Amino acid sequence: MHVGGEVDVRSAYCAASVASLTNILTPSLFAGTAEWIARCQNWEGGMGGVPGMEAHGGYTFCGMAALVILKQEHLLNLRSLLHWVTGRQMRFEGGFQGRCNKLVDGCYSFWQAGLLPLLHRALHARGDPALSMAHWMFDQLALQEYILLCCQCPAGGLLDKPGKSRDFYHTCYCLSGLAIAQHFGSGDLHNEVVLGVPENCLQATHPVYNIAPEKVARAVMHFLQYPVPSLDPA
Amino acid sequence: DEIGLIPCPEARYNRSPIVLVENKLGVESWCVKFLLPYVHNKLLLYRQRKQWLNKDELIDITCTLLLLNPDFTTAWNVRKELILSGTLNPLKDLHLGKLALTKFPKSPETWIHRRWILQQLIQENLPSLATKGNLGTAPVERIHRLVQEEMKVCSEAAGRYPSNYNAWSHRIWVLQHLAKLTVKVLLDELSSTKYWVSMHVSDHSGFHYRQFLLNSLIRRTVTDNSILVRNQMVNEQNPSLQKEEEIAGTEAACAEEQSMDLPRCLDEEMELCSELIDNYPGHETLWCHSDESLSNSHHSPATSHMAQAMDVDGLNESSSKQGYTQETKRLKRAPVQDSLGPEMEYQFVDKVLSTCRDVDQARFATAYRKWLVTFLGQ
Repeated sequence: MHVGGEVDVRSAYCAASVASLTNILTPSLFAGTAEWIARCQNWEGGMGGVPGMEAHGGYTFCGMAALVILKQEHLLNLRSLLHWVTGRQMRFEGGFQGRCNKLVDGCYSFWQAGLLPLLHRALHARGDPALSMAHWMFDQLALQEYILLCCQCPAGGLLDKPGKSRDFYHTCYCLSGLAIAQHFGSGDLHNEVVLGVPENCLQATHPVYNIAPEKVARAVMHFLQYPVPSLDPA
Repeated sequence: DEIGLIPCPEARYNRSPIVLVENKLGVESWCVKFLLPYVHNKLLLYRQRKQWLNKDELIDITCTLLLLNPDFTTAWNVRKELILSGTLNPLKDLHLGKLALTKFPKSPETWIHRRWILQQLIQENLPSLATKGNLGTAPVERIHRLVQEEMKVCSEAAGRYPSNYNAWSHRIWVLQHLAKLTVKVLLDELSSTKYWVSMHVSDHSGFHYRQFLLNSLIRRTVTDNSILVRNQMVNEQNPSLQKEEEIAGTEAACAEEQSMDLPRCLDEEMELCSELIDNYPGHETLWCHSDESLSNSHHSPATSHMAQAMDVDGLNESSSKQGYTQETKRLKRAPVQDSLGPEMEYQFVDKVLSTCRDVDQARFATAYRKWLVTFLGQ
């Protein structure tokens, strides 16, 4: 993650995000990375921080998103991943837990629910006829209920669960999760599912980078103007 | 051996806020808001080269800081520099970390620093080691003691916070990098964590650790078998090489010994699951664990060596983990004819369904039964 720091799948995602947006992504930069990430998937179907670790929502998102960027999602067992992540939505609360048998947490509204658009796209590319053309494979309304009813701080900002205090991290990821739950697909296939008044509707977020899709497009266009830098000294 | 914060919002008496009772260190909470900014600031000034601190001061300041906030990376990094320059004994940091973990059992930076220290110790590239604390013991024994101590620290931290991901991840890391996943260590860990997981039936991380141990044992058996098979093939080509045969002979004995243990381990795991599910209704973790253990025991490689050898070649060549997910396991290995296993599982699930009164338990049992039908195809 930083020089002398820990090594885990998050850094792969950070690197892939930055490299792809700034047009410095080369095969040699990520040689072997996709295979290593795939090894983080375990018997549960989700992914851990490094190969061998317990499946965890945050790490799973980072791993999957990184593989999407590297165009290597097929290295994963997508079925068992789908089975694992859908099992993480809590039947009573509507929000998501980070790991099996743990409590719900607002931030997993993004890390876990955010996996479903990625999976949808990957399975669609394989021509899976069972895929819906209107909804993600999780209960979008139930998640929105959890976020809006349980995760808002009366003084502003959002949080993990009732009783916890607000912070920027939870505010960011609760809102990101809300955006994912409200917007299916894009362009011709865009389908909005908004709980409550229409004013509740947020702007859509990019399911890989979690910034506005227009910003992704502009960044990519901007950096495509420049050549890919080489590693050789000038 | 333990630290903690004593809730005490105001200084009532004119005395030190430090309390030491029976080897446990307490700090009265009122002083933290003075102490922490003070030491924090001092360290930052040192780092910015605005104020010098000598080595002893640095050791004291970082120690204080880390006991108040062990996720302060800079403080750990200062100590790394002191260790590399030979001024600080790395074993002291293991103790400091252990102490910090009594109050902050998840602290990611503490675990990360711990791994850095352990890596330094096993690489033996530190000048201080030659003179301190070593007493000339053999490296193997020293590593063994380090491993045992780490197991203890992980276990205590796991007990202080439910499903402590960082503690269990560290435990796995230690086995992979220090203990090298020997069969003995894997079996020892299986038996020493059995009681713990029975006392923490919702601790998914604890049960995941057992899956890791069992999977490592399976992988070990498969690799050993492939060595055995390769040696046999070599023997067949060169019957006159006596030495080869002897080696193959002893390896055969080892492999058999290990492969005899494996089905029994897996059976014991299933028994443990069933017992815990009966005693503690409604814990999803136990059912997950049961699914996976049954899957492993049904496809145990110990019972068909030759078939496994072919698979192992393929598995070794591709470095991906695909071989070990449930789907590909089913595809690669023919199911073992073991009529007792599935029959017992059906009986168990049906019994749970007919006697349980917990809603969640009934739900898990129904899902498990559906899974059994798909998985066993009966």
